[in-house]
Amino acid sequence: MRQLWKIAYRDLTRNRRRSLLTLVAVALGVAMLVTMTGLYAGAIGDSIENNIRLQTGHLQVRDDSYDEDKVGLAWEDLLDNSEELATQVQSIEGVKAASPVLWATGIIGTREESVGVRVFGIDPLSDVHKTVRDGLADGQFIQPDDRGGILLGRRLAESMGVMVGDQVSLLVNTSNQQADEATFTVRGLYHTGVPTYDDATVFLPLSKAQAFTRTEGRASAITALLDDREQADAIAQALSGPGFTLLTWRDMNQVLLQAVEMSMGITYLMYLIVLAVVAVVIANTLLMSVFERVREMGIMAALGMKGRQIMMMFMLEAGTLGLVGVALGVLLGSLGVLYLATVGWDIGEMATVATAEVAYGEVIYGDFDPAATLALSVGAMVIILLASLYPAWFAARLEPIDALRTE
Amino acid sequence: MEVIQLQEATRVYKIGEVETHALRGVNLTIQDGEFTAMVGPSGSGKTTLLQLMGCLDKPTSGRVLLKGEDITQLSSNKRADLRRGTIGFIFQFFALIPGLSAYENIELPLLLSGINGKKRKDRVTELLEAVGLSERARHRPDQMSGGEQQRVAIARALATKPILILADEPTANLDTENGRQVMEIMLRLNEETGTTFVCATHDPRVVPFARRVVELRDGKVSDDKRL
Repeated sequence: MRQLWKIAYRDLTRNRRRSLLTLVAVALGVAMLVTMTGLYAGAIGDSIENNIRLQTGHLQVRDDSYDEDKVGLAWEDLLDNSEELATQVQSIEGVKAASPVLWATGIIGTREESVGVRVFGIDPLSDVHKTVRDGLADGQFIQPDDRGGILLGRRLAESMGVMVGDQVSLLVNTSNQQADEATFTVRGLYHTGVPTYDDATVFLPLSKAQAFTRTEGRASAITALLDDREQADAIAQALSGPGFTLLTWRDMNQVLLQAVEMSMGITYLMYLIVLAVVAVVIANTLLMSVFERVREMGIMAALGMKGRQIMMMFMLEAGTLGLVGVALGVLLGSLGVLYLATVGWDIGEMATVATAEVAYGEVIYGDFDPAATLALSVGAMVIILLASLYPAWFAARLEPIDALRTE
Repeated sequence: MEVIQLQEATRVYKIGEVETHALRGVNLTIQDGEFTAMVGPSGSGKTTLLQLMGCLDKPTSGRVLLKGEDITQLSSNKRADLRRGTIGFIFQFFALIPGLSAYENIELPLLLSGINGKKRKDRVTELLEAVGLSERARHRPDQMSGGEQQRVAIARALATKPILILADEPTANLDTENGRQVMEIMLRLNEETGTTFVCATHDPRVVPFARRVVELRDGKVSDDKRL
């Protein structure tokens, strides 16, 4: 084997240009796939994190009868003693912050325009909403005792032509299934970078939201952030009790996770196509090498090289090109992922095509996925070796005297 | 002691409907240490005979014995083994590997035989000296003259100390002086090492170097003289 490797290595260095071009093709193909894997991992990871930070938290406590799709405000579907419950949840080890939240649907309007929105009644001081607080772009954040203030997304405000200090009307459904309208002053504008969120969510202090919707101190849920999200199942287990539903971040991101699973089929198909192209390049390179060296194969056979040794020699050549190419590709791809992880990819308005459950930010950041990268590298090597089988077999089948007769 | 024996060896090539009888019932024995020239016009069967002796081809009928062993029915792998350890080849067009240096070309059969590094190096150095090319060890074939390339080919053929060297038109592409030098080297190595040489040639310059001349005509041995 060492001897065949020496001969194979010399063959590779004899035609440096061809070997180099083949290496580059393999490296670029693999680099592209590694970068795309990183982008995909980052997009999914970011989307889940955005959802957690802005909407679901790591854990939610709800009343058994609460229906998230209906966004109901009937008292029997809400949590009584929500403040007390939040305090209890926060006292559990591993819970970083817990806060009651009230959800409603409404229509926000000016004289010229009206838009359907989600209304979040929140405790503005809780760390559960730190992300929104940190995203304050203009004006001030709402305060717990503010009876007339509202917080809008900057994108929503811009689309409605509204600024800090302007008045807007808000129409909501109340707990007794009637509509109520009130006028609010825009205290501040926030920007989270997630267009589907910023376009459609307005914030009121929890007490004002409760009064406005006639829910009398009740909350739709207790939202909690944890120190370690992997502890969500264990903590949910600790909190479980009759009358409550405990939902972890996995439960609440089912749509996204299912979408990821469904899209994996397409992703793998794309990987296969790129790797097939790489395989064709390798096979072509080897075939060209075989056809150029038919006479040489005859000489080798005359010197006593067996068919399977000739085959092994060509496969060693392909394996070497593949190994170096894949390694280079992983290195280049990792640099691509590093760039995406630090600088990101500004997708701007494209982020708005996502649904509310798939919270893409305006900038997608990459994330290195070691398991996927390893699987890709191994898959690429296997495909390259398979592609080299035919040229290697062809070379091995040549009869020495026929090969020697070739010009 | 017989090195190679052909017994009623026949070789028929069939291309489409056309049959070509390259060899017709050849009986020939080459003794250990002989320097034999096989002469005859083009198409007389010299190269075919050499290919049968060298296990590169099988006869259509008849037998070929190498050191008493019938090699006619051997598998292609076994024949490759014989070529590697027992038989050396020198071709008309030198047949060196283009991208390899003189040193590396001579080293090739030793690599294939699994000879280790130091032994291999010593053997290649010895052979380069024997053919007078120690100064050209790192040169590639495209950097050498025809005569030098053929000398490398001779060294390569001798690398694994074979019992038999088969040379097919070794001087055909060489001028008079280089042709003479190549034949002198082959004869000297035959005398020094006792290796059996069989040269197929239609070059009359080769004949004076041979101890035995076998003449082929139309696929048969027409004359066989010891000089």
